[in-house]
Amino acid sequence: MEFEPTLASAEAAEGEQSDASGDAYELVVIGGGPAGLTAAIYAGRARVRTCLLVGSLPGGQPASTAGVDNYPGFPEGIGGAELAQRFQNQADRFGARIIPDSVTEVDFSQHPFSIRTGRGAYHGKAVIVATGAAPRRLGIPGEDKFYGRGVSSCATCDGFFYRDKRVIVVGGGDSAVDEAIFLTKFAEQVTIIHRRDELRATRIYQEKAMANPKIDFIWSSVVEEILGDQTVTGVRVRNVKTQDTEMVRADGVFVYIGMEPRSDVFAGQLELDNQGYIVSDRHQRTNIPGVFVAGDVQDPHYRQVVIAAGTGAAAAMEAERYLGKYP
Amino acid sequence: MPLLNEDVKQQVREQLAGLESPVRLVMFTQEFECDFCAETRQLVQEVAGLSDQLEAEIYDFVEDEEQAEDYGIDKIPAVAVVGEEDDYGIRFYGIPSGYEFTSLLEAIRRVATGDAGLTGETLRFLSQLSDPVHLQVFVTPTCPYCPQAVVLAHQMALASPMVQADMVEAQEFPHLSTKYQVMGVPRTVINESTFVEGAAPESLVLQKLQESVANEEE
Repeated sequence: MEFEPTLASAEAAEGEQSDASGDAYELVVIGGGPAGLTAAIYAGRARVRTCLLVGSLPGGQPASTAGVDNYPGFPEGIGGAELAQRFQNQADRFGARIIPDSVTEVDFSQHPFSIRTGRGAYHGKAVIVATGAAPRRLGIPGEDKFYGRGVSSCATCDGFFYRDKRVIVVGGGDSAVDEAIFLTKFAEQVTIIHRRDELRATRIYQEKAMANPKIDFIWSSVVEEILGDQTVTGVRVRNVKTQDTEMVRADGVFVYIGMEPRSDVFAGQLELDNQGYIVSDRHQRTNIPGVFVAGDVQDPHYRQVVIAAGTGAAAAMEAERYLGKYP
Repeated sequence: MPLLNEDVKQQVREQLAGLESPVRLVMFTQEFECDFCAETRQLVQEVAGLSDQLEAEIYDFVEDEEQAEDYGIDKIPAVAVVGEEDDYGIRFYGIPSGYEFTSLLEAIRRVATGDAGLTGETLRFLSQLSDPVHLQVFVTPTCPYCPQAVVLAHQMALASPMVQADMVEAQEFPHLSTKYQVMGVPRTVINESTFVEGAAPESLVLQKLQESVANEEE
């Protein structure tokens, strides 16, 4: 194990939070992933008084992935945690106040906008929502019972516990295939179960997975139940073409079937589409003037670090423009 | 070779600037250092060098039996983050590296201020505890969700003399991972028998703590 320190600047927060001058923040950014951090970099650099509420996963989704291969400027690829840390260092450098707090409630009906966390309230003249997306669950019997005890969506966190064991990865996209490859460092056997008869993942991941002797595939199949008494012992799988079911032995199940936007807390205030994504125009504006949105919480299509960062930059520039007109 | 490079050192210096009071990093290793004992000792010594308010104390788990007992250390490597006067029960078992380095810095800052930073509801419950509570938070250094659980447990230890809170690095203590059936992290074990999966919010951990205490009173 290499020693790689990861730093998150953490300031305690309790009660009503404003900046040092006692005024509301000019900008409150909600979410500490690539979109939120890039927004904070741009806003900080534009000398906008900014605080960033990082939420439960500092660094966002890259922080929980093994590596990022397609972020420009890193020709050899870069560790997900390291990339997240670099984003954060840059936001820090431009003076954004980074606070490890999760939002529980917002009130966008009054201005300055009010954002509550478990510990207190923050006020901002403008807000950027960049809460990202969370792993989608299978929604099948056994999943809740074993979540965190045999069912996981974080291979970098939990891969270690499956040394010389058999694991199943559910899904066929980039994340599923990349994490399956990562899990072969520990597991004796990794079985990818995918509902289609070919992978959706980028060709380079497919080639790597196909060439890996520890990885095998069960095609055109869905997992219907996670089995086990005290620990996971296997899954029940149904072939969607033949309708045949079979039991597959496994010690753990990693679920990578896509993401869901983390927009619950904004429902009723911001307009959401039928999948829960926050609706925005081409300038990252929501239905409420002064509230902007960036990253995966508004992006059902691409969900890339570089695009999240791009929309974060755009949202910050729009927020700055909005604040310039603010009386 | 130093564990912390100059960039990281500079950041840590900034983060630890203005510590309100002295903090001691009490570290236990042994003569023939265990896996990660040497690295943990070196890390503690390097971090201690980054603030005038910090001091590293290194003990031998075998030879300094008395100190090990005083601090309730039962495995190594171990680090207790201790105030000038008060030992709040904040422990790290295994190396606080990777994401857990954040938890170490947070523990240092919390001990220096003495501010637990918990809600009134949690503080009220903790102030009424009549029996000891032991929190063990299992982590891996590559788990970005884990520091949230560790920091919360340490905040509870800081708030109450009845609470001891340990970070336990699962890979270094596989027998404990097996004993407590850790298959995913973070996993918080409350008094041996109540479990919290994941980086749960303060309100949920409080609820589990209340359940655990109520069960024991029955």
